[in-house]
Amino acid sequence: MFKNRERVIRLKAELEKIKKETLHKLEQLTTMEELQDLKVKVMGKKGSLTALLKQMGTLSPEERPKMGQIINELRGKLEQAWEEKAKQLEQIALAARLEGEKIDISLPGCWLPKGHQHPLSKVIEEIEDIFLGMGFTIAEGPEIETDYYNFEALNLPKDHPARDMQDSFFITEDILLRTQTSPVQVRTMEKMKPQLPVKIIAPGKVFRHDDDATHSPMFHQVEGLLVDKGIRMSDLKGILLYFSRQMFGESREIRLRPSFFPFTEPSAEVDVSCMLCGGDGCRLCKYTGWIEILGSGMVHPRVLEMGGYNPKEVTGFAFGMGVERIAMLKYGIEDMRLLFDNDIRFLKQF
Amino acid sequence: MRVSIEWLKQYLKIEQTPEELAEILTRGGIEVGGVEYLNKGIKNVIIGEIKTINAHPNAQKLQVCTVDIGSEELTIVTGADNILVGDKVPVAVPGAELPGGKIIETADLRGVESQGMLCSEKELELEFVGLDRSKGGILILYPDAEVGTPLVDYLGLDNYVLELELYPNRPDCMSMVNVARELGTLLGKKPNFAEWLQTDEPIWPTDVKQKINIENPELSWRYSALLVEDVVIGPSPRWMRNRLRAAGIRPINNVVDITNYCMLETGQPLHAFDRDKLKGTVRVRLAQEGEKLVTLDGVERQLDNSMLVIADDSGPIALAGVMGGLDTEVTASTKRILFESAHFAGASIRRTSRKLGLRSESSSRFEKGVDPHGTVTTLVRVAELLLELEAGVPMSFVEHKVYLPPQTVIEFSRERVNAVLGVDYSKQEVERVLESLNFDYEHRPDGKYIVHIPSYRQDLKIEEDMIEEIARINGYDRIPTTLPQGVQTQGRRTPEQELRRKIRHTLVKAGMNEIVTYSFVKKENDDLWGLRGMNIPILNPLREELGVMRTSLIPGLLETAARNAARRNLDLLLFEMGSVYWQHELPLKNLPQEKTLIAGLAQGQSPRHWLVPQIKFDFYFVKGILNQLELACGLEFTYTPLKNDRYQGLLHPGRSAEIHVAGEYLGFIGEIFPQLDAKLGLERPVLFELDFDVLYKNCKTTLVAKSYPRFPAIQRDLALVVAQNVASEAIKNRILELGGDLLQEVEIFDVYQGRPIPEGHKSLAFSLRYQSPERTLTDEEVNNLNSNILASIQEEFGAEWRK
Ligand SMILES: [Zn+2]
Repeated sequence: MFKNRERVIRLKAELEKIKKETLHKLEQLTTMEELQDLKVKVMGKKGSLTALLKQMGTLSPEERPKMGQIINELRGKLEQAWEEKAKQLEQIALAARLEGEKIDISLPGCWLPKGHQHPLSKVIEEIEDIFLGMGFTIAEGPEIETDYYNFEALNLPKDHPARDMQDSFFITEDILLRTQTSPVQVRTMEKMKPQLPVKIIAPGKVFRHDDDATHSPMFHQVEGLLVDKGIRMSDLKGILLYFSRQMFGESREIRLRPSFFPFTEPSAEVDVSCMLCGGDGCRLCKYTGWIEILGSGMVHPRVLEMGGYNPKEVTGFAFGMGVERIAMLKYGIEDMRLLFDNDIRFLKQF
Repeated sequence: MRVSIEWLKQYLKIEQTPEELAEILTRGGIEVGGVEYLNKGIKNVIIGEIKTINAHPNAQKLQVCTVDIGSEELTIVTGADNILVGDKVPVAVPGAELPGGKIIETADLRGVESQGMLCSEKELELEFVGLDRSKGGILILYPDAEVGTPLVDYLGLDNYVLELELYPNRPDCMSMVNVARELGTLLGKKPNFAEWLQTDEPIWPTDVKQKINIENPELSWRYSALLVEDVVIGPSPRWMRNRLRAAGIRPINNVVDITNYCMLETGQPLHAFDRDKLKGTVRVRLAQEGEKLVTLDGVERQLDNSMLVIADDSGPIALAGVMGGLDTEVTASTKRILFESAHFAGASIRRTSRKLGLRSESSSRFEKGVDPHGTVTTLVRVAELLLELEAGVPMSFVEHKVYLPPQTVIEFSRERVNAVLGVDYSKQEVERVLESLNFDYEHRPDGKYIVHIPSYRQDLKIEEDMIEEIARINGYDRIPTTLPQGVQTQGRRTPEQELRRKIRHTLVKAGMNEIVTYSFVKKENDDLWGLRGMNIPILNPLREELGVMRTSLIPGLLETAARNAARRNLDLLLFEMGSVYWQHELPLKNLPQEKTLIAGLAQGQSPRHWLVPQIKFDFYFVKGILNQLELACGLEFTYTPLKNDRYQGLLHPGRSAEIHVAGEYLGFIGEIFPQLDAKLGLERPVLFELDFDVLYKNCKTTLVAKSYPRFPAIQRDLALVVAQNVASEAIKNRILELGGDLLQEVEIFDVYQGRPIPEGHKSLAFSLRYQSPERTLTDEEVNNLNSNILASIQEEFGAEWRK
């Protein structure tokens, strides 16, 4: 009896010692490997706790279950400690990995080729998209044009003083570089007659005998034409207001001023409220609050006739705008020559 | 046209500021380009008379004058030597201010106190003011200058001028009377005109001696002449000089000034001939080839038979409507004058003026059209002024009148006005416009308006012209904004336009920068790269370097690249898509063919980067870009060595290729020929040029998705050593052929030259991908197939297997 009791006490003491030592070691260790080692040393086949368990047989049958329970509790406790420690070590390892894998996020990203569209073709596409959205289609015509389409069919007979407004480059007496995109008006009407509506825009290159800071011998225009039954000047105003707001911002207003073009009557110059100052007046708008952006008007009956339509039955409006001017306004470009200089540093901004 | 506000006030009561007038006119369709205040900053400059002139005691180049300025006499030192005692001069008294802000004070000039300064025209920023003696010295005023009067008052400088920028349809506004009419309409006021304006019948007896004959009636409809005796040439009065000057015209003498003044007033150009120098009949005719005329500016002009002249029995005496001749000029001794007031056809005057490079106030009016009804009215005004100025006595009149256009009558209805403008103007609103225009009209029972257009409004011919009048006078602001009512249409690009856009975007995405260059280039450059000798010359090029229409885009690209390289922009990826112009005959009879080409240039390399090795913008880089185009168009390009010699000496023969698509020639790619690049400051640029039409014609617009096999693929690599000149693509194609259905894909993944590969050889590594749509392949069958391929290739290409 006494011996049995003494054994129990010794066992308990040893258990206590294993517990203390193990927990202490657990605290100290820093790697998973050490943790595994410790586990084997305590709970493995030859582990200290396993060895104690083997001594259970020497206890009395009454003591055995009690002792068994104590050992199991200890076992549970250690398992839990191990698990916690393992988690903790994993966390540390992950943190170390993350720290070790840290990169310099401030370094530039991988190089990929990056090209740029020319501001003029960009603006033309933008204009096209706005009018495509309003149901216009895109028409084209030759850049080398006959005198007939460039002038005569637009109500500008030979020796008309208005021809002075446009100095031409000539190929022969009757063939020239078109001075405006307007010839596409008549060409399109001839092609489409008698279908209605004729609803086109015509972007393209035009040429005038001019070369200075504000004129280029080659530049771009977008012509517009809508011929149908019952087209009114108020429709022209509506379409151009919509265009101006799409192009220059929702808060833009437009105003029409009487003007003169041989191929429209009535004719109007169109101003848009200044996109820089909003109309209060600034350097860009020369303190008027308005910026001239295009010419327009109701198609002259002579032009409708020459296009093959009866001016008693249909009316139409036409307009023409300078793409360079719009690009300059839109991107704040001050010198038109930059657009044809093609300096890569300029192009890369678009 | 320069419009003096002071002058306008003679016809109209004006309450608005000049800026307000400018806005009203501009919004009404008469654009005002600027408003000028005539006094450029003169303050306290008084007219004085030189009393004495003495040498400066201490300075050789200076003089000391005493000057009477009315209230006192001042001592003034001047460096000028053009003054005489008795001259009237502008005196900047102490405290005066000159243009530019310069303040004049009493100053000690080398020991003499100068109480102010005598001024020159330049210092006062004035023009055409003084006597001829003023040139280069002190401004010497006309003798009618009153001592003690401020210069600004005397010259009428406290006045504004509106600078009209007239559209070609409103030549009528090159006249003060018509500007007053226009402004009256816009202000809703009736201008006040003198009686002479209502007179269009001659009020003088017909001259029996002077004959006038229009020999080219298609070019001149009417020639009216007023004959004046007892002419006394002298200066014109101050008011007339001031008005002429405000209009930008130099006063000369009373007779010349009257012709200019009346022209400004009515718009009818006039000319004064010294009648004593005329010989016989005055004729209006075309010049004969070889005739000559010395014009008023002293230049001898060679005439030809397209130029209309005024001639007498001795030959041409004036260029009709452009400039008079020196021989018949009015001079100080002139006693008898023939005043010409005529109509000449605008087109003819325009041609003559252009041919001779000679423009005048007269020609610029005739070119745009002068009202032939107004010739006599203007002569009535001339006569009135001659008498008023005591410059001569109008005696008789003679005229040859061939034709006068009938009055224009326009019919229009209010319904149509409203329908075209999208407005709803009432009867009153329409009639108010007609009344403010001062047009005679009837309102017919059927609702139509019949309007009688006065002859000075030659621009109004048809109903639409009246619609514009009503719109602009009521104000364009009154037109509402609406949207078209017709059927809705769908806007979309044509397939061709869509493809052009796609190509542009593809190239941009691949790293290319789009450029836009002139369609005209230097002939020599285009001859090199384009269709030699086929480029269309421009008759009147801006410069010789822009002399022909391009047949290739390459010269523009090279020039752009060279310009960039000169600015140290050396890494370039450029492309342009645009028209070239091909002709079939010279000189051109029909319009040439316009083709869209796509061309590009690459040189240099990608930027230095810490991660990515620099990529050279070389042949293979460009070929890679073109591959993006192939994918975008659904096409496969084939590259073969250049066959035709068009690019001989232009492209590196070993680094260039013809590109074909579906057997059709598409264009070329290639590195520039050695040394050509250095001349342009470039380094080995690679060029390409493709024909858009060929791309468009062959481009696949529809796409059918293929399924891919479910069974696993087996990959084998094959490394071969072949002679350097063997095309890798040929081996690749042969491998594909030999592999049959089971060989899905062959890629070249390595190319190597150098040790240990023997000289003149290269190593190529292919990756072969075997796959069956029906089953899983065995290693054995793939190995068999692979070694059969290897054996054939070894034999056919003299290749060696590299293990
Ligand atoms: Zn502004």
